[in-house]
Amino acid sequence: MTEPRPAMKPTRDPRVTLDDLVEVLLNKGAVLHLDLIVAVADIPLIGVSLRAAIAGMETMLEYGMLRQWDESTRAWAERSAGRRELDLRAGESLVTRMPGGHLLEEGVYTGWRPGGVHLTDQRLVVLRRDPREVLFEAGVRDLRTVQLETETSVGGERRTRLRVATLDGRTALLSAADPHGLHEALTHLNPGLTALPAAPEAAPADEVEEHLWYQEPRRSGPLWRGGKGRLGPTGLMWKSPLDARPALVVPPGEILGAHIEPGRSPAGDGLVIVLETVSQGRVTLAAEQPRRWADALAATAAPDVPLAPDRPDTPAPVA
Amino acid sequence: MALTVDEKSLKHGVLALVLTLVEVIQEALERQALRRMEGGDLTEEELERLGDALLELDEALEEIKEDHGITTSVADLHRGLDEVVDDVVDKLVNPARWAEEAGR
Repeated sequence: MTEPRPAMKPTRDPRVTLDDLVEVLLNKGAVLHLDLIVAVADIPLIGVSLRAAIAGMETMLEYGMLRQWDESTRAWAERSAGRRELDLRAGESLVTRMPGGHLLEEGVYTGWRPGGVHLTDQRLVVLRRDPREVLFEAGVRDLRTVQLETETSVGGERRTRLRVATLDGRTALLSAADPHGLHEALTHLNPGLTALPAAPEAAPADEVEEHLWYQEPRRSGPLWRGGKGRLGPTGLMWKSPLDARPALVVPPGEILGAHIEPGRSPAGDGLVIVLETVSQGRVTLAAEQPRRWADALAATAAPDVPLAPDRPDTPAPVA
Repeated sequence: MALTVDEKSLKHGVLALVLTLVEVIQEALERQALRRMEGGDLTEEELERLGDALLELDEALEEIKEDHGITTSVADLHRGLDEVVDDVVDKLVNPARWAEEAGR
C-alpha cells in the first residue's frame, strides 16, 4: 500500500501589500447602493438614497459608466495640449530648464509651488504645466541681484535656494534642481547683474532658535515656563506659545555674560544657564543643550562692559 | 503591529505620513494607467503624455522626500502599512489564526 500523499493545500502569497489591496479594489470595483428610511412610530421622516461606485477607469468603462465624461475630458485635453510648453518669443532661445519651484508669499499663505524653471536668453520663467500657470516671470535684464541662500527643511536637510530681486523691487525665492548652475547661467547672461556671493551659512552661534525654558520671576516665586528662545544679532528673545509678546527681550549690548550652574532644570540634566544682564539682573534659563546656549550667549556678551550691576546706565559700546 | 511616527518632530512625522499616502495613491494611479494603456483605448499622443506625467510625478515625489530628508521614514511607514494590510488579510482568509492568537 502506498502512503497517502499529503493533500494539496491552497496557499496564499504571504506578502500582501497595501498597493495590492488598492489594486484589487480598483480592478474589481466596488458599488455601494443604499436606501434608508428613518421612521418614528412607523411614519417615515428622513430618507437616504445613496449610490456610490469606485473602480479603475478601465473597469468603469467596461460597465459603461462615466463613458461620456471620459471622452469629453480627453477631447478637451487634445485641444489644449498645444499650450503646455513655454511659448518662446520670436528670436528667443531656451538656455536651460530644470525642475524647480517658486515660493508663493501672499498674505498669510506661504507655500512652495512646483514647476519647471525655464531660463531663456531673455527671461527667467517658472512655469507649471498642469494646470498651466506662470508662477514667476522676470526679464533677465530686469534682474538686479541673484543670490544663493541656504535654508533648513522640515527634515533638517540644508537646501540651497536662489533669491532673485528685480529692478522694480520684487523679490522671489526659487528652488531649482541645480541652483548653482542656474546662478551661473544667469550671471553669464546678464553680466551687469550684481551676483552676490552665496549668503554665509548662518553659524549656529550666530542664530540659535529652539526650545528654551525661562524661569519667570513672579510674586509667588520663580516659575519655569517653556517656550521658544531665539538668539541672533538682535539679542535674546524668549516667547511662550501662550503669550502674545515675548516675555524676555535682552538686546545684545545688555548681555554681560553667561555661565552654567548646577540647579533644578526642567530639561532634567541638573544644569541651568545663568545670564547676567544690565537692566534685568540675573536671568535663569534652561535648555536641552545648556552648554551650547551658554557659549552662544557668552559669545554675544559685550566684551568691554564692566560687570557693574549697580550702575545699569553704563553706556554699552556699539559692537 | 503599531505604526511608529517619529513623535520628536511632529512636522517630520506628518509629512512622512502624507507622503506615504501620496505614494499609495501614486502606485494605484500607475497600475491603473498600465491597465488603460493595455486597454488599447488611448491614442499614441495620450500614451506619451500619460507616461511623461507619471514619470514627472515620480521624480517630484522623490525630490520632495530627498528635500526633506524623509526617504527612509517614508519607506519604513510604507512597509509598516503593508504589514498591517498583510496581517488583516491573513486573518480574514485564515480564521484559524484567530484561535492561534487567542491561545497565545
